[in-house]
Amino acid sequence: MKQNILKLGYLLLGLLLVLVIYLSYLQVIKGSDLAANPYNRRLQELENLIIRGNIYDTGGIALARTDLNSGKGRRVYPGGKNTPHVIGYVSSKYGRAGLESAYDRYLLGMEGVDRVRNYINKLLGREQKGGDLILTIDFALQQQAMELLGGRRGAVVLMDIRTGALRVMASSPGYDPNKLEEIWQNLVQMEDLPLFNRAAQGAYPPGSAFKVVTAAGALGASPGYATATFNCPGFLIVDGFKLTDLSAHGQLDLRKALAVSCNTTFAQLGLKLGPDGLYRTFKAFGLDQDPTVGIPVRPGTIADPGEMTSTELASSAIGQGELLVSPLHMALVAAAIANQGVIMRPHLVNSVRDSTGATVQQAVYRPWLTAATSRTSETIKAGMIDAVHYGTARAAAFSGVQVAGKTGSAQNPHGQTHAWFIGLAPVETARLAVAVILENAGSGGAVAAPIAGKLLAAAVAKGY
Amino acid sequence: MISINNSKKNSSMQGKTGRHLELKLILMTGVYMMTGMLLLHLGAAGSPEPRALLIGLATVAAFLLVSFYWSLTGYHGDCLLLPITALLCSTGLVFLFRLDPAYAVRQFVWLLAGLVALVLTTRQFVNFRFLSDYKYIYALVGLIALVLPVFFGSEQGGAKSWLDLGLFSLQPSEFVKILVVLFLASFLIENKAVLSAGTRNLGCLSLPGPQEWGPLAVMWGISLLLLVFQKDLGAALIYFSTFLTMVYVATSRIFYVLFGLGLFIAGAGVCFYLFDHVRSRVETWLNPWQYIENTGYQVSQSLFAINSGGILGTGFGQGYPEYIPAVHTDFIFSAICEEMGLLGGTGIIILFMIYVFRGIKIALKTKDEFAALAASGLTALLAIQAFIIISGVTKLLPLTGITLPYISYGGSSLVANFILLGFLLNISHEAYIDI
Repeated sequence: MKQNILKLGYLLLGLLLVLVIYLSYLQVIKGSDLAANPYNRRLQELENLIIRGNIYDTGGIALARTDLNSGKGRRVYPGGKNTPHVIGYVSSKYGRAGLESAYDRYLLGMEGVDRVRNYINKLLGREQKGGDLILTIDFALQQQAMELLGGRRGAVVLMDIRTGALRVMASSPGYDPNKLEEIWQNLVQMEDLPLFNRAAQGAYPPGSAFKVVTAAGALGASPGYATATFNCPGFLIVDGFKLTDLSAHGQLDLRKALAVSCNTTFAQLGLKLGPDGLYRTFKAFGLDQDPTVGIPVRPGTIADPGEMTSTELASSAIGQGELLVSPLHMALVAAAIANQGVIMRPHLVNSVRDSTGATVQQAVYRPWLTAATSRTSETIKAGMIDAVHYGTARAAAFSGVQVAGKTGSAQNPHGQTHAWFIGLAPVETARLAVAVILENAGSGGAVAAPIAGKLLAAAVAKGY
Repeated sequence: MISINNSKKNSSMQGKTGRHLELKLILMTGVYMMTGMLLLHLGAAGSPEPRALLIGLATVAAFLLVSFYWSLTGYHGDCLLLPITALLCSTGLVFLFRLDPAYAVRQFVWLLAGLVALVLTTRQFVNFRFLSDYKYIYALVGLIALVLPVFFGSEQGGAKSWLDLGLFSLQPSEFVKILVVLFLASFLIENKAVLSAGTRNLGCLSLPGPQEWGPLAVMWGISLLLLVFQKDLGAALIYFSTFLTMVYVATSRIFYVLFGLGLFIAGAGVCFYLFDHVRSRVETWLNPWQYIENTGYQVSQSLFAINSGGILGTGFGQGYPEYIPAVHTDFIFSAICEEMGLLGGTGIIILFMIYVFRGIKIALKTKDEFAALAASGLTALLAIQAFIIISGVTKLLPLTGITLPYISYGGSSLVANFILLGFLLNISHEAYIDI
């Protein structure tokens, strides 16, 4: 029996030890999602005690600040309708979103030295202050992007390919976070979902813009495709299904196939690449990941390679089928082509300062993924230059800057095609990558390409 | 000669020097508690609390007095259990003051009653063995006490397990649990041979006859009774798991445990479909966020509190544990975790671990099996109760409304656990004095 008692002792101690381990998980490892839950009134209490830090754009323009009115802070968003999806909001009624939510602990001075400083301030009855964020966003460009979208459903992402700094992340329609409490009921009922961050959370079929990825996969598998000739009779029969093309393109090489956006060629390439090859390429571009830019991004999705039929494979290769990605992901595809296959880690926050103005976090520019070789990306880039020069993306050409790009007109169950454009500029020494989408707005070449061209021209004119 | 010398040395360790160590440890506990009381006096929890210092001092004095009384009467009970209990009680008292002083004052009165009960237990039941002869009598008394609330009880916090006695209300199940352990200890030892070996064969299993397992089936029935009629899920769970552990310790037969667990799972499954209160507990446990506005509110507020504590806690009086409904009873552990952090919460758990360690040590030192089984049963009872409520408030297991021993507000629970402590000490007293 003594043996059994000893076993019982170990069991009881083991149970209590499990509690210690679980408690450590709850208190130390489990993140701030509990703290940010709208039913948790602790942050709201802190909100009343601490002066929340400000959020600035890359040039120091305030996008969110706390105005003090006789001791009580009021959150103001000078960016108004142009920045709500990136900045987010803080509301005692409707919770918090965007960077306001993701960087709560810094903005409220709950991290590092600020935490100690504020604890002392609290004990001494002094004012408690949070830290500031300096973003990579350029407010003027962001504003222009929103104007170009003009209230239509869509999104624009503009990124500096050398650093990964996101200069524009626009989602349209916007809303005014300054009036959140009054318009909330309206916002949640509106059909065009203004609260939804299309740039990061959108799930769209990329259409022909995805041919860039298919081309990268095919060239990676056998570089010989760069000089091979394809034949386009205007259709392709896969497993008995007839895949029609816009026109019979005849004999053409890969570069021209990109320029004129030949479905037959890319469906064939997809079939040669195989489900696993296409899936590997999808992953190589990081399309299946949340690149952790500061706010949540919806990872892209593709049919399971194990269950991919030939028709699904051919459709996926031209950006249709079950394939769904976000505009941010497509900007990263363009960035890979612009930067010799290397995608720099995308980010929204350049630096975090504590309440005294000392920098506590500084964005580091480092490669995130290598999606393709530089030879592959140069071949594709040549095709994208041609697309703007004489192909489907001619509307992206603007004086003052040479643009390369790829259009997409993605079929979807909601009506007209989604208009896509992904591109890079300036062509010789690429510094910027862009992705534009307008939902159900028609062809990418006619609708999305001019917006991208104008925005790239403006950005280059500003010295980016 | 040598053995006599040894025993003298040993008994003096547990006797006079043991009591000396006990006094010293209680004094250190007093410093710990008075720090908290001083903070309360200065207004750490809002308005300054003038009664805190006085009640703190009186509590330390009461514990010291008990220890002093034992050293006068030459009592040889374990010298670490009382200081551990004092630490747990003072943490409870300090936090009750911080949460709601009215509860703290009442708890203080109950604490004094508990200490009186402790002294009486160590006086009247120091030869606890005679209880073994009357086991069927107090089993009957216990059963009646348990059933009473079904007819005359009042409902508190969803469980109909309270007897309203005018001035205060009593929860019989808290006291009956000790009787259950003592009853099981003597019953299991008496029928150990039969239960372990079995008298008849059923295929490859040898099973005892109905007269041996009959009372055990009654135990199982009592657990279900508690569960169904009084909606006291926590008590049912404690009874049943203590019962299983004791059966295993006595018979070494894992079959009984598996069989019991099977029955329990079957019973729980039936209850899940038959009774709304059981189903809602389980559903709330699986996804409290879905029910955050009603049944999930309490446990999600508890998780917020615990999570906000971090490693060091927000500091005493700096958190918002009052957002949790019933924080002073079932959820006091969450308040401790919020304001004292992982270190504070772990500290409490470690105290229970030392308690278990000492309890098991006492069980191993006893000479006969009845005392050994009783000691391990009482230890298991306390540890299981602590485990069930802490896992409840942290959402490791479904929440069942029971108290955290010695810490939570609750008179019946506090006094009963002091009586439990008394019996453990009596067993150790006997073991140490006879060496």
